Amino acid sequence: MANQLVVRKNVDAADVASLRDAYAKMQALSANDNRSWIFWAGYHGFPQYRCWHHGRVGSDGFPYDLFLPWHRAYLQYFEHTARDQNDGARLAWWDWTRQTGIPASYSAPRGPDGKPNPLASGPMPAMPGSRARRTRRSPDVPANLPSPADVTRVLGLSQFVDFSNQLQDLHDQVHGWVSGDMGVIATSAFDPIFWAHHCMIDRLWYLWQLRWGVTNIPPNYLRQTLAPWALTVQDVLDINRLGYEYAGAVASSPPPAPRPKASPKSSPAPAATTPKRRVKVKA
Amino acid sequence: MANNRYEAPVTIAADQLDTEFSRADIEFEGVDHSGASYEGRVFLNNPRADATTPLTPENGYAGTFHIFGHGGCFADDEEHCTVRPRRRYDPRPAHQLTPARKVVIATEAVRQALETGPAVTVKVVPVVRATTPKAGPEDVFSYERVSIVTYR
Repeated sequence: MANQLVVRKNVDAADVASLRDAYAKMQALSANDNRSWIFWAGYHGFPQYRCWHHGRVGSDGFPYDLFLPWHRAYLQYFEHTARDQNDGARLAWWDWTRQTGIPASYSAPRGPDGKPNPLASGPMPAMPGSRARRTRRSPDVPANLPSPADVTRVLGLSQFVDFSNQLQDLHDQVHGWVSGDMGVIATSAFDPIFWAHHCMIDRLWYLWQLRWGVTNIPPNYLRQTLAPWALTVQDVLDINRLGYEYAGAVASSPPPAPRPKASPKSSPAPAATTPKRRVKVKA
Repeated sequence: MANNRYEAPVTIAADQLDTEFSRADIEFEGVDHSGASYEGRVFLNNPRADATTPLTPENGYAGTFHIFGHGGCFADDEEHCTVRPRRRYDPRPAHQLTPARKVVIATEAVRQALETGPAVTVKVVPVVRATTPKAGPEDVFSYERVSIVTYR
């Protein structure tokens, strides 16, 4: 399992138990531990601010928009960090176009084991003006989430920069919809729903690539580095080369019925033998 | 919902635009995204639009952009959040707070607005979505330039 292509699924079909276990372990580690929740979420906004949002001018003066490739790389690193804690953990995507709000697995205050649900909130460090605490949300009504028609419109844009710009706007809309700590760059990655949201964004880029081409991106983007990740834009174009795939749909059979237990082995009964008969042959 | 602040409407002389186009965008350049997160509702030829204005073509509603704000300056050191002019050959990524560019695809709204005359008034109504102790709902929206761009 460790070296196979992983399949990222919708949160409703994903192995939430493994993800919950991985997140709980990451969240229990201290902030300075480079395996911890706070350490990895801290790359995005506070305190490291490495995230890439909106076009930013590169060293050559060109306004690159590396929003999509940067976050694809970020999720890749994060998922492997989670798998170090539980190899069954897979990032799962939150399909907000269903307009039903935050998935139940990410909002229930406690998990099936009765412990606080590590998908419902995450630890945050002390920041200027606020003490260490867990993340909080203040979601809007579900009808105000992006609709399937919004996504269809964006997926129909054939130029990468145009598509990235409009998809990033839907992305911004969902951050604002969840609000609370998810609502601003500084704190959003500490909320576990951040990863499910960005998994959906990455998936939408993948769906767009299926339609318009995996390498459909301006050529001068290809060698741009995605600091601090040791990857370039070209490195992250093909998700299969990164070791994952997105499930289109999942249909599962019910689990097989348990086999009846075999009765204890005993010595086989001796086979019945027919007594030999002497046959007289007349000459 | 927090109180909202409204930026003054801007009038654009649109007589240089094509009269026929397949797509029209409203582009905002130099948009500040350092503070609270908000939804920017764009209205054409409706300078009195506010947060209660219905989002319909009859009211000049052209579309919405969203700003995922940084939530304020979470640094105690001076000028941590100051964006300086970029030196040539500087290999580092640009400052995180480099102002953004936002594009609203508003083909039918622009077509409708141009039917009333060669000048188009653009009004943005910011509706705040998330604040922090460092970034409240005041003065969320500022920008350097707004343009209408048409494509054949």
